[in-house]
Amino acid sequence: MNVEALRTYIQNEILNDPDFVIEADQDLLLSEILNSLSVTMLLVHLEAACNVRIPPEDVTLENFSTLESIAGYVQRLSESAG
Amino acid sequence: MFDFLIHSPVTHYARTTPDHPAFSCTGAELSYAELDAASNRLANALLANGLQPGGRVGIYMHKGLELGVAIYGALKAGGIFVPLDPFMPTERLQFILDDCEIRHLVSANAMAASLARLQGSFTGRVYGVDAEVGLPALGWEAVDDYPDGPPDVWIVDQDLAYIMYTSGSTGHPKGMMHSHHGSISYARWGAQHVGLTAADRVASHAPLHFDLSIFDFFSTSQSGGTVVLVPEPVTKFAASWTETIEQERISVVFTVPFTLIEMLQRGAMDKRDLSSLRWILFGGEPFPPKHLRALMEKLPNVQFTNVYGPAEAPSCTCYDLPPYPEPFDEPVPIGTVSVNSVDLIIDEDDRECGVGEQGELCIRSSTLTRGYWNRPDLNERVYLYRDSFGPFPDVYFRTGDLVVRHEDGLLRFLGRKDRMVKTRGHRVELDEVEAALATHADVAEAAAFVVDDESGSKAILAAVKPAGSAAAEVAALLQHARTKLPSYAVPQELFVVAEFPRTSSGKIDRKQIIRQHVKTGDP
Repeated sequence: MNVEALRTYIQNEILNDPDFVIEADQDLLLSEILNSLSVTMLLVHLEAACNVRIPPEDVTLENFSTLESIAGYVQRLSESAG
Repeated sequence: MFDFLIHSPVTHYARTTPDHPAFSCTGAELSYAELDAASNRLANALLANGLQPGGRVGIYMHKGLELGVAIYGALKAGGIFVPLDPFMPTERLQFILDDCEIRHLVSANAMAASLARLQGSFTGRVYGVDAEVGLPALGWEAVDDYPDGPPDVWIVDQDLAYIMYTSGSTGHPKGMMHSHHGSISYARWGAQHVGLTAADRVASHAPLHFDLSIFDFFSTSQSGGTVVLVPEPVTKFAASWTETIEQERISVVFTVPFTLIEMLQRGAMDKRDLSSLRWILFGGEPFPPKHLRALMEKLPNVQFTNVYGPAEAPSCTCYDLPPYPEPFDEPVPIGTVSVNSVDLIIDEDDRECGVGEQGELCIRSSTLTRGYWNRPDLNERVYLYRDSFGPFPDVYFRTGDLVVRHEDGLLRFLGRKDRMVKTRGHRVELDEVEAALATHADVAEAAAFVVDDESGSKAILAAVKPAGSAAAEVAALLQHARTKLPSYAVPQELFVVAEFPRTSSGKIDRKQIIRQHVKTGDP
């Protein structure tokens, strides 16, 4: 899942606001775009959409702080699984 | 050992253990000597710029070492610190700045965008900021030019130490005033109960504007220990939080059940060395027994304590759980009153309840709030005066919580008397949520209610009835609510209904709305 697809998902499904501007390197937690509840929503979506299983120890600030870091993490995970 | 002010231990430990860390945050540390000197400089800067003893000092920043300097700087200047949620909407921030007449605001460059929105409404000075925000500001470099020595101010322990804002039923937050005397009582209760020493590393996981933070900061400083500041983003990721416990060798945690359930379910605890943990205190809302049992099983060497107390009378009762595996399925008791408190359970007619009788818990405690800032109306309602010991009426705080004392002497929490709810440890007045939604032009009436969520906490939902033929767009209404309410009080779901079901007395029937619109799983 690339940055653009992630952005669209967060805009439509989490923020309910398709026009909300999210930069690729913006801190999603400090800017309150994501909270613990929406992170859970996002995880469920990523696992289904990318056909991967995300182990709990990978759900860290490092992997989930920006659109870029999430996209990079999911790509690494898909590659190691495939 | 110390004199009578909540900040005195810092000066004491700056002399006796100057190099011992007072604060730690993502690897960086601030020693007691550094904290003492830096907070003196800030105090001197505040006084030189017009702060008077008893003046309010807003603290508006994310977790970081400067937070410690800000708190102690404000206190050493004889000021009253007012924690301001760095995530709150501008309108709410402006309300508190006005209500509390804050003229001195200690903040950070990271808050520059929010600060710039205060132009034209905030008439004071900002500290710790050298970014251009359109307000009179003093950066840390300028603050550090002020003298290292303690400022000459005279305050006593009856004076206020902090004012904490919480959800209010009128749609506006209300500020709870706490004295140095009350704060010390709370801090010493914590330090004694947990047996804190200088070797302890106590997590500051809760936000500063949440009363658990008073334990984190001040119980720790009573014993010369180290406060480990946990950055807000880390608290959102259970696996990062357990990693922080391991790396920072955290020994004591006081948090809400929600955090601990997340840690249990998503914290990858088996992959971490959590052997530094020795005591976990939890409070804010009931801990579902099945999750608590599972957590105790994973952490067999940790003492668990259920702490009860409204922010007006923090930690007034507590219950130390017996070690696992003593089985339990009942909700954990809130226990017995703490050493600095007295309880009184009263019925609807203010008569004292006996064992087994349900009533409202009233508390007399040295931690008790001095009342609500600028709200004499509320102060009349929340206190109960009883002549227990002679001609002086004793002051009790009406908690609004229903409790019952069982034969074993332990108190059980039964629920709120009114409609204040707890969600993830945050206190929310449902009336305030409704009031915020109803301020939107398209809304005729709003009804907020809570349902159980998957984590054992409560989720806030709301239904609105549109005004006239208005469309009442859900996204727009939620966006509106976000500008009025702290994020945890914004409804997670919103329904638009043509008409509300009503009770026979014409009130909105919220239970009926839940039955009609919310798919609830089996209990």
